[in-house]
Amino acid sequence: MKLRIPTTESLLRVACILALVALPLMVWSLFDGTVWPVLIALSVGQGLGTLSFFLFLVAIARDLHLKRKLVAASKETERERQSSRPPAESAQ
Amino acid sequence: MTSGHELDAMGWVSVVSAAMAAVILIVHLVRRREVTTTTRVWLLMGLGVLPIVTAGTANIAGFEATQSRKFCGSCHVMIPHAEDSGDPKSLSLAAVHARNEYFGQNNCYTCHKDYGMYGYVLTKMGGMRHVYLYLTEYRNMPLSESKPSIRILKPLPNANCMHCHTTTAPDWLEVPDHASSLESVRSGKLSCASVGCHGFAHPMTKLGKELELDGGARP
Repeated sequence: MKLRIPTTESLLRVACILALVALPLMVWSLFDGTVWPVLIALSVGQGLGTLSFFLFLVAIARDLHLKRKLVAASKETERERQSSRPPAESAQ
Repeated sequence: MTSGHELDAMGWVSVVSAAMAAVILIVHLVRRREVTTTTRVWLLMGLGVLPIVTAGTANIAGFEATQSRKFCGSCHVMIPHAEDSGDPKSLSLAAVHARNEYFGQNNCYTCHKDYGMYGYVLTKMGGMRHVYLYLTEYRNMPLSESKPSIRILKPLPNANCMHCHTTTAPDWLEVPDHASSLESVRSGKLSCASVGCHGFAHPMTKLGKELELDGGARP
């Protein structure tokens, strides 16, 4: 079974939601410097924040990869079109 | 440093960057715009740059918070230690030191930290062990049971005391007990916080037998 990466829009939405959960967790320890807020900020908060940024990078890398493929495909099409033209036509 | 609900400059940077990131992310989620280059740049700010600033500053504040007495006393088994050392009337060794500005609100950490080259990391690793033991063994233990049963893993090294109290000062050497036990103190064979010397740092947690050896309970 091939793992399919969700669309860029979905990835970015998930990344945004994860970051919106992570940010308050990271900031919580500033207001309550007891053991659980600090531990959660340094573990869960950091983990979710890192995951959201990773998803953003995956979305960007995917877009760049697709863009590169599209550019390569259009160049290939252009090359085929030029090679299929009759020589007389290309001489004119 | 951040203490309680007071935010210092770093705390404000953390909160403001988190708020700015949250606004960018909420706007993106609500507007459901097409993903263009401009959107990507905004999201780079909202998912990358600003959260990294938040994480960095909150991490520093978090690590500083782990040095405070409030943090150490947030596990219920440490409440007697924290309350006693913060009591202005207490004469225990811990409380006397906590009244010194150098120790202040960070008195637990200042005495118990490892002063070696990797002291900070080693101290934090030891702290994680405390968290593990608290979760697995002491979480539901009543204070009546924890006070006489929880003990420091190994005696507090005299080197920690000597970090401030030099054993070479003439005033210190003039004390007959210091002069007679100099080698034992320096080598760590005799603890500064032992019976007959300066007594227990946290006498309120000791058993009756231990207190009798120490010459009776202190106020």
